[in-house]
Amino acid sequence: MVAIRKNRAACWSAYIALLPMVLTVLGAYIGTMLWTARVSVSSARIFPTGDFVGLGQYERLFRNARWLLSLENLAIYGVLFVAGCLVLGFLLAVFIDQKVMGEGALRTVFLYPYAMSFVATGLVWQWILNPELGIQRVVRRLGFTDFTFDWIVDQDKALYTIVLATVWQASGLVMALLLSGLRGIDDELWKAARIDGIPVWRVYVSIVLPLLWPALSTALILLFALVIKLFDAVVAMTQGGPGTATEVPAKFIMDYLFGRANIGLASAASIVLLTTVVAIVAPLYYARAKAVQRGLK
Amino acid sequence: MKRDAIADIVPAVRPRSRRLTPARIGVYGFLIMAALFFLVPLYVMLVTSVKPMHEIRLGNLFALPMSPTLAPWRSAWQSACTGLECEGIRGGFWNSVWITFPSMVLSIAVGAVNGYALSFWRPRGANALFAVLMMGAFIPGQVMLYPLVRALAAVELYSTLPGIVLVHVIFGMPMMTLLFRNYYASLPEELFKAARVDGGGFWRIFLELMLPMSTPVIVVAAIMQVTNIWNDFLLGLVFAGSDNLPMTVQLNNIINTTTGERLYNVNMAATILTSLVPLALYFLSGRWFVRGIAAGAVKG
Amino acid sequence: MNEATRRTRAIAAAVLATACAGTWAAPPAGPLKATVSHWWTSGGESAAIRQFADAFNAAGGQWIDQAVAGAEQSRASTINRIVGGNAPVAAQFNTSRQFRDIVDQGLLNNLDDVAAKGNWDRILPRTIIDVIRINGHYYAAPVDIHMPAWFFYSKKAFAQARIKDEPRTWEEFIATLDKLKAAGLIPLAFGGQVWQEKIVFDAVFAQLGGPELFLKIYRDRDVKAVASPAFRNVLVAFRQLRAYTDPGAPGRNWNDATALVVSNRAGIQIMGDWAKGEFSAAGQVAGRDFGCFPGFGAKAPYIVAGDAFVFPKTSKPHVVAAQKLLATVMTAPGPQAAFSARKGSIPIRPDVDLSQLDMCARMGIAIMQDKSRQLPNAEMLVEPDLNGALQDVLTNYWNRKQTPEQAQAAFAQAMKDNAW
Repeated sequence: MVAIRKNRAACWSAYIALLPMVLTVLGAYIGTMLWTARVSVSSARIFPTGDFVGLGQYERLFRNARWLLSLENLAIYGVLFVAGCLVLGFLLAVFIDQKVMGEGALRTVFLYPYAMSFVATGLVWQWILNPELGIQRVVRRLGFTDFTFDWIVDQDKALYTIVLATVWQASGLVMALLLSGLRGIDDELWKAARIDGIPVWRVYVSIVLPLLWPALSTALILLFALVIKLFDAVVAMTQGGPGTATEVPAKFIMDYLFGRANIGLASAASIVLLTTVVAIVAPLYYARAKAVQRGLK
Repeated sequence: MKRDAIADIVPAVRPRSRRLTPARIGVYGFLIMAALFFLVPLYVMLVTSVKPMHEIRLGNLFALPMSPTLAPWRSAWQSACTGLECEGIRGGFWNSVWITFPSMVLSIAVGAVNGYALSFWRPRGANALFAVLMMGAFIPGQVMLYPLVRALAAVELYSTLPGIVLVHVIFGMPMMTLLFRNYYASLPEELFKAARVDGGGFWRIFLELMLPMSTPVIVVAAIMQVTNIWNDFLLGLVFAGSDNLPMTVQLNNIINTTTGERLYNVNMAATILTSLVPLALYFLSGRWFVRGIAAGAVKG
Repeated sequence: MNEATRRTRAIAAAVLATACAGTWAAPPAGPLKATVSHWWTSGGESAAIRQFADAFNAAGGQWIDQAVAGAEQSRASTINRIVGGNAPVAAQFNTSRQFRDIVDQGLLNNLDDVAAKGNWDRILPRTIIDVIRINGHYYAAPVDIHMPAWFFYSKKAFAQARIKDEPRTWEEFIATLDKLKAAGLIPLAFGGQVWQEKIVFDAVFAQLGGPELFLKIYRDRDVKAVASPAFRNVLVAFRQLRAYTDPGAPGRNWNDATALVVSNRAGIQIMGDWAKGEFSAAGQVAGRDFGCFPGFGAKAPYIVAGDAFVFPKTSKPHVVAAQKLLATVMTAPGPQAAFSARKGSIPIRPDVDLSQLDMCARMGIAIMQDKSRQLPNAEMLVEPDLNGALQDVLTNYWNRKQTPEQAQAAFAQAMKDNAW
């Protein structure tokens, strides 16, 4: 009666309130992906053309060694970066949580990389990792003349330097996320665990980590998004080199969008990247949504 | 507090946290090592920013300056060349403010409303749309440039301040919605149900009940958005129009010359200057930042 | 040429046109506004473009600067603005095939009358005309000529390695590098970025392979020439240079490599004439502290590259007038000399005052008189897409243990793949 009518009116309000989101999703996201898909089956160079070349761009894409390498690099980088950030962020959070002195200062130290534009910090990392300028030179000067740390100029190891620098930038954010999660854990639990005599490390592994799962999952989503969009770091540190050793999909797409004036190929690459992401994320998201539903109900 | 009380109740299980046990030394040791690792690039940036160029050319990265100078800082702020003009980065400061502030307010407002509607009202089909929105968080921005330019040009918003604000709202929507949705999901549903029974409608409940309780997550969202929007370069360059170019465009002009000479000391100074606004925000609201994300993330 | 008359005529024409159209749209009083997009943002480049801006303002224009650093970013910004309907009045590109597509889409105004008045077909080098004149119409105003493959060397380093003369053949060049290595210096200052590797390769290609082979491959896309022993030699020679670079070379910015030569820790750098800006910033003078030569021998080819401004399509009379004024001013002798003196380039026309130019630039101008030595840059012959693909092939060859035959095959494959 009154309740039901009010219900419907309120429900309409909800729909109207969500209108910006609906418009954004349909217009901005779905709309641009449809446009991109259309361009990816044409032979467009700088500007879109109306023609249709079937899967020609996709064929060309998968014959392109640089593209295939970029996908491979992204996979390796993604695993290492996410693992590195999670582990380092978790350790930092746990250690800071131990009632240390100067916690505020320490937290700031770990968070400041996130505030700085990577264009300059990336160059600084390039210098630090360069064997002639940075760490290798300093350590050799100290007397360890056999010390080598020239990953950034090595075809096979340059990717790890990107992992290093980006973990430096992002683990502060993960630390903040996990620290708050830790702070949200009831102190009663600690007390109970201590009384039971469980060793500290076991408390963390068996009790704390499961309780931290929500914070961890937010961190995971954040990190995964950062992995897919990796561009600035590669451009600032290695420019995709040495050679093409640190090529990543976002840089490949950007190069072909503008520098190489071939938006057809770039669009095909974007569609492939998006499809890969959806293929990985959608099942996970579905499983989690189901778990949340079960948890709430 | 509570843990010290535990030590009283459970004697001799673990010494008071203030004493220097090996475990304590280990904790501090790890944190100090980590802090050094994090600070090395900052040290290099600071040291480089006060060296004259002839010292930088010698290539001694970690050496302290032999003849330190503050000229690079002055130059970065007011006289470095960014094209025909040589006015440093200060020209873009207010533009960055005009872009960041409205974008932040709008994207947080939209995110809050979305999160509220999604977690309490759950209209049909909304979750599916939210899933697609989250997919959007994974698309590199460059991919969407072209069609967005066309679309904005069609509604005469291209190269305008409202245009760039709209673009930032669009790009921030996935993360903001996620943040608020998770936060509201962690609030007890009884509160909401009670408000409904009391006769509250959609907007009344939001404005009078939920919003006042959202302070922590709003501060978190503000910090994330300010950092992302203030440091954004590509979107500002493409969509803001020449009258509204943000500071990052000037920063790019100073740092990224293609075939011109590079003044690394000025570049470092300019970068640090540009990052002062987000950094200041961290210092001022660091406590809130940490506490807020907790609530946003606690319940999945 | 009388700028004032031209401008008055343009404005009068505009007034007449609008009056006859029946609407009284007040003609813009005052200067002709021109928003100019370019990527020259360093101190030296800013001083150079100031010469154009001052000359334009003096002639009745108003230069509104819209610089974006980073050549690719600047061009990307320009294209986005054209697509969005907010194009600048003038935009910088390289004299190359980068703007071919934009011309084909009919999105640029042509400069035929400016070219006719300025006698461009008689003054400008053939290599440049071929790029800016498309289907018989002129679409870009060239503003400078850069040579991307100069050999710069530190006089102190040469003295330390007891090298008396500049090398005149490839063999002498290798011997010079060997002497530098023996003296404990870095023989070749190098930055391992894709575009720098391409510059060094093209230098070796032009000097060792010769102009005919160069044109056969880049211009004629002759796949048989790619498979030839002559091209294989070029690849082998290119790879040979790797042994003379230092381990820190990969990823290094070109300025940092020049810094090695400036500080006399390295002997030679192969880089474009813009490198002179780094030398001047360090207070060094050509001929006294550093030397330069464009190649080996008296007939060494001189690679021609450069920058040009295009003018996005518009029919608004005062904008068109501004475009024509800008094109005229930028190609006039006075501004050309002043610009090149500060930019490190050489002017596009020979009839300018050479007194402000440095030793290397004067050498370049003298060489340009000999038309047989002019060699168009690869980017003038090859569209950006294929150029990029070839860069990928070369960078893989340089950085990995590939054989010259593999590189030849990849090179040919790239040319086939990009023939849409």
